[in-house]
Amino acid sequence: MVFSYNWLQSFFKKKLPRPEKLAELLTMHSFETTSHQSSVISHQSVLDIDVLPNRAGDCFSHLGIAREIAAIANLNYRDSISIVKEDKILKAKDYVSIEVKNKEACPRYTARVITDVKVGPSPKWVQERLKVCGLRPINNIVDIANYIMLETGQPLHAFDGQKLEGNKIIVRFAKDRERIVTLDEEKYDLDENILVIADAKKPVAIAGIKGGMIPEIDKKTKIVVLESANFEPRTIRRGSKKLDLKTDASLRFEHGIDPNLTKMAINRAAYLIQEIAKGKVVQGLIDVYPKKISPKKIRLDLNYVERLLGVKIPKNEAKNILKRLGFKIIEIGSRLIEVEAPTRRLDVSLPEDLIEEIGRIYGYQKIPSVFPTVALIPPKRNLEIFWEDNIKNILKEVGLTETYNYSFISEREAKIFKYQPKDLIEVENPISIEQKYLRPSLILNLLKNVEKNQRHFDQIKIFELGKIFQKAKAEKRMLSGVITGDAFYQVKGMIDLLLNKLGISNAWYDEYQPTPEESKISIWHPKKCAEIKVNHDEIGFLGEISPKILDDLKIEIKLVVFDLDFEKLQKLASEEHEYWPISRYPAAVRDLAVLVPRLVRVEEVLNRIEAAGSPLIRDIDLFDIYEGEEIPRGKKNLAFRIIYQAEDKTLSSKEIDQIQKKIIQSLEKEIGWEVRK
Amino acid sequence: MAKIDLKSLKNRAKNEIEKAEDLKKLNDIFKKYLGKKGELTQVLRSLEKLPKAKKVKIGKRANQLKNFLRIKFDQRAQEIKEKIKKEAEEKEWIDITAPGKKPVLGHLHPLTQIRRKTEEIFQAMGFTVVEGPEIETEWYNFDALNIPKDHPARDLWDTFYLENGLLRTHTTPVDVRYMEKNNPPLRIITIGRCFRHEATDASHEVNFYQLDGLMVGRSISAANFKAVIEEFFQRFFGFEKSQPIEIRIRPSYFPFTEPSFEVDITCLVCEGKGCSACQRTGWMEMMGAGMVHPAVFKNSGLVPKNWQGWAFGMGFDRLAMMKYKINDIRLFYSGDLRFLNQF
Repeated sequence: MVFSYNWLQSFFKKKLPRPEKLAELLTMHSFETTSHQSSVISHQSVLDIDVLPNRAGDCFSHLGIAREIAAIANLNYRDSISIVKEDKILKAKDYVSIEVKNKEACPRYTARVITDVKVGPSPKWVQERLKVCGLRPINNIVDIANYIMLETGQPLHAFDGQKLEGNKIIVRFAKDRERIVTLDEEKYDLDENILVIADAKKPVAIAGIKGGMIPEIDKKTKIVVLESANFEPRTIRRGSKKLDLKTDASLRFEHGIDPNLTKMAINRAAYLIQEIAKGKVVQGLIDVYPKKISPKKIRLDLNYVERLLGVKIPKNEAKNILKRLGFKIIEIGSRLIEVEAPTRRLDVSLPEDLIEEIGRIYGYQKIPSVFPTVALIPPKRNLEIFWEDNIKNILKEVGLTETYNYSFISEREAKIFKYQPKDLIEVENPISIEQKYLRPSLILNLLKNVEKNQRHFDQIKIFELGKIFQKAKAEKRMLSGVITGDAFYQVKGMIDLLLNKLGISNAWYDEYQPTPEESKISIWHPKKCAEIKVNHDEIGFLGEISPKILDDLKIEIKLVVFDLDFEKLQKLASEEHEYWPISRYPAAVRDLAVLVPRLVRVEEVLNRIEAAGSPLIRDIDLFDIYEGEEIPRGKKNLAFRIIYQAEDKTLSSKEIDQIQKKIIQSLEKEIGWEVRK
Repeated sequence: MAKIDLKSLKNRAKNEIEKAEDLKKLNDIFKKYLGKKGELTQVLRSLEKLPKAKKVKIGKRANQLKNFLRIKFDQRAQEIKEKIKKEAEEKEWIDITAPGKKPVLGHLHPLTQIRRKTEEIFQAMGFTVVEGPEIETEWYNFDALNIPKDHPARDLWDTFYLENGLLRTHTTPVDVRYMEKNNPPLRIITIGRCFRHEATDASHEVNFYQLDGLMVGRSISAANFKAVIEEFFQRFFGFEKSQPIEIRIRPSYFPFTEPSFEVDITCLVCEGKGCSACQRTGWMEMMGAGMVHPAVFKNSGLVPKNWQGWAFGMGFDRLAMMKYKINDIRLFYSGDLRFLNQF
């Protein structure tokens, strides 16, 4: 909010610090402030003050900022003059009657009547101050109302008294299908949630937001009915949101204003109208104020001040600060005071609120840095984060790069992946169509990463560990990755390594078997996908993506995806690891090549070798799979390297030959299997 | 029987050994004197025929000579080997300017790396790292934090709403969730993904990360906050700087803290002298903080008068941006490997 430096100066006899210095003082003790030259009136400084929302009630005004300056700089400020000379003959009640129908929405309604006004342009000094603060001068009556708002923080409204039907002002909620045309000639449809000021027949203003056109002040106006009211913040906020109409008045009301301010503000305005527009203020202040607000009393333990801020502030200094801010103090004990807060301080109700006042004016920069003295309690270990870090390190070591993607997907993307809207969590107020749903899987965005990067890189190896969202199970952490190329076995190897490093030993791969319904919506290539299982529990998938989806996403390269349930992984993971004694006896290595029909699984062959050769087989390594030239059609050649080793003796070559022979016999029992000699 | 002139044999052999230029030649000389048919071997063999007194006298000298020559041979052999090695070394050469072969490693996201560094610093000061859900309820995200419905303060947090709940706009709800289940004294930090319903630009994203911290005890003060946070920034940024990092606390407003602070640190670019990065103030705004509001203790099931402490919250992406001099927050979520491969 913009404040005039000259206007602020007018509250003080003494010269204020120069604008930059004043801005710094306000920044350090009240609100973030910058100073610069006015862009409207030359050679005038303005302060741009970021008044904190809890202080809007008293500081959306020059008077409020002047009070802050007075407290910070320890200066005395002058109150503005508001001596109203009432005309004893005429009575306000004869001109207008006020009825407040809803006292919760309008805790106070104050009005004055001024007759015989001469409407015209306001004097230069008023116009200048309004302009500096970004308001447009209109005529002396309207300008004075605005001027008082900028000065005191109380929005005022002026009606032409002769245009109010029935000489009535009624504060009530609008009726359905009532309409109003505001001062700026905009039409608004009202409803029963919107508070209005009405005359005997119709709404004449949207309460606390904007005046209506009908009782507008114009050149012919002779009688002014001045309104200085207090409205309940939530009511104004709801109305302003509903109508999508924000004004200087609504901004102030929706933050809350002290009801006790209306009287001072209306008297000040009446005084200025009397001085400037030569009006006669008729006798009587009309004031509907059924529930008077009185100042709050708060007990403050000065030891608590010291304990919370961690700095010793002398008692007198603390008391002084509060006094400078307008608080009244009664001493109760040597370290206990009772503080009466002025009603304008809507933000103050607790001892902590007073501590803030003392602390900020005293200066937070004077608080020393002191390490806490506490019991030595070691931090608890967070296993989720431990495993997360662990997994990320392993994947990094095998050459994958970590990505962070958006938590959202678009409707189009949901369709590509054939997600049903009923399974997805929808964002009710997305900013763009890109954020229609929360991501139900990490795969989609990873594939988009591939699409974007494929121009720049020959091979892409990426992963993400993050939350996914589905209606069935709100949020869940997943670990997914993509490796480009014909990389099924490479990725399978990575997963094996990962599970091994996590101490998960009983993992196996099962044929992907979707139900007929599942296969219709599956993203996986039906023949090139495996379920990763631990015991009987499925912990994830590994495989290629359906070519149709890749096509839709404009991905032109082959790729393999893995998708693991992190929560399950983390539960299965274990740090336990036991050393396997190194055999003192040498190991022997033999190769074995087997020709088998193409569709025979490697696992079947491995199982046979192991069954026939155990327990002397230490390790079997498949080092080649070959199909093609020199091999009969429909067959493939599997080349194994078998390592033999005993725990208790050196195996003789005769013994090894015997086992090898046993293995060969076992393999050749199968029809179509042939060990190549 | 020829006269046995051991002295001349010694001189000859010694001479020849010293002149031998390669191992083959040395071996030939060895054979000539000490081989099966070598001169000295023959002398030793011929001793048997001599009378006893003479045998002892010459035998002793011959054996001494044999040992002497063996040592000479060994020494010379060693010398020749070293010479050969040295010559060979001088011939060998590699071009050390040719590029090395790098093993292919992956990369951790910069936010992961910054997260680990942050966790490490706070854990060293006894803070436990905790987490909470990304889908929150109105209660935890707002009401419990003393942000009432229909209050202008709620405008500070632009929110994505879901059919059930909302996407958390900050990680502060984790503080309440933690206090519900754990009694003070406590020290925690939480780093997590948050969401804001606002247009994106170089410094705003719809999803981003926030770091929140909380310390509660019987007498945890604002002075304690200053010390802990100063230490954090010092360890996070300070080691590369010539001046210690200072922090500055200004008044602020958050519904869940009272008093509330805005925390600035010495500008990292100009180290406090004033530059364009800090609008000539010498300070950079880093975080919001304050003393936990009694209403928040109450909403977390604690008795406010028994406890006091502080909480802070800061944009985590910004911390990473400052650390690595990244000028656009959107790069973090772009998945662009030209960016990610740099970390």
